[in-house]
Amino acid sequence: MKAIIIGAGLGGLLSAARLSQAGYQVDVFERLPITGGRFTNLNYKGFQLSSGALHMLPHGPSGPLAQLLKEVKADVRIVRSDKATIRMPLKMSRPDYGKGFKDIYFNDFFTPLSHRDRMKIALLIVSTRKSRPTGSTVNAWVRTQFKDEWLVRFADSFCGWSLSLKSDSVPVEELFEIIENMYRFGGSGIPIGGCKGVIDALEAVIASNGGRIYTKTEVSKILLENGRAAGVVVGDKIYEANLVISNLGHAATACLCSEALSEKTYSSYLKMLENLQPSAGIKICLAADEPLVGHSGVLLTPYAKRVNGINEVTHVDPKLAPPGKHLTISHQYVAPENVKNLEAEIELGLNDLREIFPGKKYEVLLIQSYHDDWPVNRASSGMDPGNETPIPELYVVGDGAKGKGGIEVEGVALGVAATMKKILC
Amino acid sequence: MKINDNCVGCGQCASFCKQGAIEVKGKAKASAACVECGICFFYCPVKAIEVSP
Ligand SMILES: Cc1cc2nc3c(=O)[nH]c(=O)nc-3n(C[C@H](O)[C@H](O)[C@H](O)COP(=O)(O)OP(=O)(O)OC[C@H]3O[C@@H](n4cnc5c(N)ncnc54)[C@H](O)[C@@H]3O)c2cc1C
Ligand code: SF4
Ligand code: SF4
Repeated sequence: MKAIIIGAGLGGLLSAARLSQAGYQVDVFERLPITGGRFTNLNYKGFQLSSGALHMLPHGPSGPLAQLLKEVKADVRIVRSDKATIRMPLKMSRPDYGKGFKDIYFNDFFTPLSHRDRMKIALLIVSTRKSRPTGSTVNAWVRTQFKDEWLVRFADSFCGWSLSLKSDSVPVEELFEIIENMYRFGGSGIPIGGCKGVIDALEAVIASNGGRIYTKTEVSKILLENGRAAGVVVGDKIYEANLVISNLGHAATACLCSEALSEKTYSSYLKMLENLQPSAGIKICLAADEPLVGHSGVLLTPYAKRVNGINEVTHVDPKLAPPGKHLTISHQYVAPENVKNLEAEIELGLNDLREIFPGKKYEVLLIQSYHDDWPVNRASSGMDPGNETPIPELYVVGDGAKGKGGIEVEGVALGVAATMKKILC
Repeated sequence: MKINDNCVGCGQCASFCKQGAIEVKGKAKASAACVECGICFFYCPVKAIEVSP
């Protein structure tokens, strides 16, 4: 059996590793000269920045990605973050960091609440596990339960950091699926070697299983035979296969077989694709001699104007920066209407960092923004259309087809695992 | 080398330019240090870089 994978992003390589392990003859075609898509390292002034992700796995060494890596025998060491914290203003009456701040542990997020609201949280923690709230957004749900603005800010910074969305565009079902996954899999972690540590390990697995990866190779068309996917076109060459897996998201995949999809039977699928909203974000990479965050888990910043959270990966892998330096990375959500004002959004982010780290010395290494065709997420979390397409033997993997409650790469892994189960059952 | 409106500002090109000739802030911009080697063209994920043949 032969499988073709379009795109060597994380989803594509995970699929290639699993299928080659199961005995498929696998060819991966990648348009760029590098593999890994938005999940690999970019060497910049001796720092291992990244092409997308902040070198962080939302559920660390026991999450869905770690499990799938283990299953395909990819040799990656993932270190669980020691702690996650939230930066609070010194006085809650002044909702910014200008007059000082203190950090609290992530798990103590309820401490700023009144006694009554704390009791309510304790009750909700039990009751929502039995019957999950449905039919609204995270923001709307929090507002129906609490009057306190703090929880909305907390929800916004958490959703901004982990999903690059605001809490008013995340379905409440998705949040509770995420919370369930936090119970199930635990908190975040960092792979040794950063994103590329994962990509290199997957490539080694694919090579040892006889699979091949072709870079600088763009697929221009997906071929169909009797209505089923049967291969791809690269340049003027045809490559046949029993199975085609696309790592490009549903919309870009549909463009590669637009002729076939123009038939009327596919119109509802195409219409659904029009509603997919990629999410946008800005990442600011800092270099510092002294730690700015001080631990390897996230520092959430709910009282900053734009920055949602910051991590410092060098506490786990010092090799991600030159000797003696730290690599600190902030992430901020960008609202769809602000994508056209990226420079102004970046300025707000830089101002935030000055407030969050007053008196600290750091250098801004690189500012990276992501939207539209190279977004933070091709399908906003909770809106993923699944891995199947209307065309048999054509599947979509990656962050345009994540599994439920799967934050970022954990969602990519859940989607790949579900797809593999369908194919290999 | 020209950078068109497709650019999202991801900075990938900047990390591969040996001259350090690309500045990024929402969009990429090439400085006078660019020697027109064309390397960055291959690394742009959204085909925003155009090089003259
Ligand atoms: C700023 C930012 C921060 C993030 N932070 C985190 C984080 O800390 N933790 C986390 O878990 N996730 C994070 N993510 C999300 C994570 O990076 C993505 O979910 C993940 O990398 C998506 O992988 P993918 O499988 O969809 O593949 P992609 O990365 O989209 O790869 C697709 C590949 O297909 C190739 N391709 C496209 N068209 C063709 C074609 N026609 N022929 C051949 N090849 C083609 C592309 O060049 C690309 O290499 C972040 C993302 C961003 C942008
Ligand atoms: S053409 Fe060469 S020198 Fe000019 S910006 Fe691109 S990589 Fe740098
Ligand atoms: S790689 Fe392309 S999209 Fe990214 S900054 Fe450079 S020109 Fe813009």
